[in-house]
Amino acid sequence: MNSLPIVTALPATLPRSAAERLAALFDAHHERLYRFARRLVPTADNALDLVQETFLKAARASHSIPSDFADEEAWLVRVLVNIQRDRWRKSLVRRRHDMETRASSRPASDTEAALVARAAVWTALDRLPPRRRAIIVMHELEGLTVNDVASVLGITAITVRWHLSRGRRDLARILEPYVGVTDDRD
Amino acid sequence: MTEIRHVLSAADPLRHELGPTEAERHRLRQRVVAAAAHLDSRPGRTRRPVLVSMLVTSAVIAMIVATSSMWPRSSSLAQAAVRFEVRLAEDQPAPGLRAVRVGNSDRTVYLHPEIVVTNNDIQGSTVIPGNAPARFWIDVRLNAAGAEKMRQATANHLGRPVAILIDGDVVAVPTLKSPIGAAAVISGDFTRADAQRIAAGMIGAAP
Repeated sequence: MNSLPIVTALPATLPRSAAERLAALFDAHHERLYRFARRLVPTADNALDLVQETFLKAARASHSIPSDFADEEAWLVRVLVNIQRDRWRKSLVRRRHDMETRASSRPASDTEAALVARAAVWTALDRLPPRRRAIIVMHELEGLTVNDVASVLGITAITVRWHLSRGRRDLARILEPYVGVTDDRD
Repeated sequence: MTEIRHVLSAADPLRHELGPTEAERHRLRQRVVAAAAHLDSRPGRTRRPVLVSMLVTSAVIAMIVATSSMWPRSSSLAQAAVRFEVRLAEDQPAPGLRAVRVGNSDRTVYLHPEIVVTNNDIQGSTVIPGNAPARFWIDVRLNAAGAEKMRQATANHLGRPVAILIDGDVVAVPTLKSPIGAAAVISGDFTRADAQRIAAGMIGAAP
């Protein structure tokens, strides 16, 4: 011991091992993380995989997880976004090829138009860098304010606004052939 | 023209999918918990050099020797690798109380002669990750009798200190803000080896 320990009385339900702590963390946050992850990746399986990787990373870095509920959720969200950024960078070459292929396809009939438009929206989101996509999702779909997004991701409100602006512009350009969209502002 | 928010909302996969099944959630949870359990069971590496550990151990032994003649000893403690005690304490001297310095600090507290709980009252103690790499804390669980003794002793002692002693050394004197129950965490600058020695010793097992 180099310094004086601190003794903290805790509720009897405190998890006793790292496994139990992770289980509690999972139970408290997996639903929110899945919803967030699903909006960042193309398929439900991808989302489950991303959530799993996030919690596995939490298991390996349990010492750095904050104890407060809101803080630990923000911590997990940041981890998830970072994992997705790493994956996105690694698959960038393949992604570009895929996007070019998809961009050349068009709906074969009117009955397919709605599905194609829906797919086009998420294909367009796929083309955004993960952090920008996360900001778009948090602000536009989850309803977080710019300041809340900044707080969760640990970046400035100015950076959030910049990503929102760029993201909306990119989406409006990509989606223009499929749906009429406006680059709406706050 | 359509706002991007509405376009995204209309195409939101969460509106068109059921989400993971219970079985999928369960499998995911199992994988996460199993991975954490695996990490739990892996032997950790300590950054503390062996020589420093030996010096620390020697210092602890010296402290036990220095204090043992002045302390009432429970017979069970002789078997324990680590002597764990909790005593009520006061900030001001009074007849019957013993002055003890807290760790290496300048603070002095005055200990009540009665031991509230000892090793016998501990149901289990577990090493848990601390707040920094290679730093570990100890999660202590009292058995029902120990928890009851702790609750009774601390309920009338709110706002005053309670002393935690390890191997006869007062290592912490938290001020009671609420009665202590069955669980406590000793969060110090422990290496895994230190924490494991203390945790194992608390319940009388070989270190």
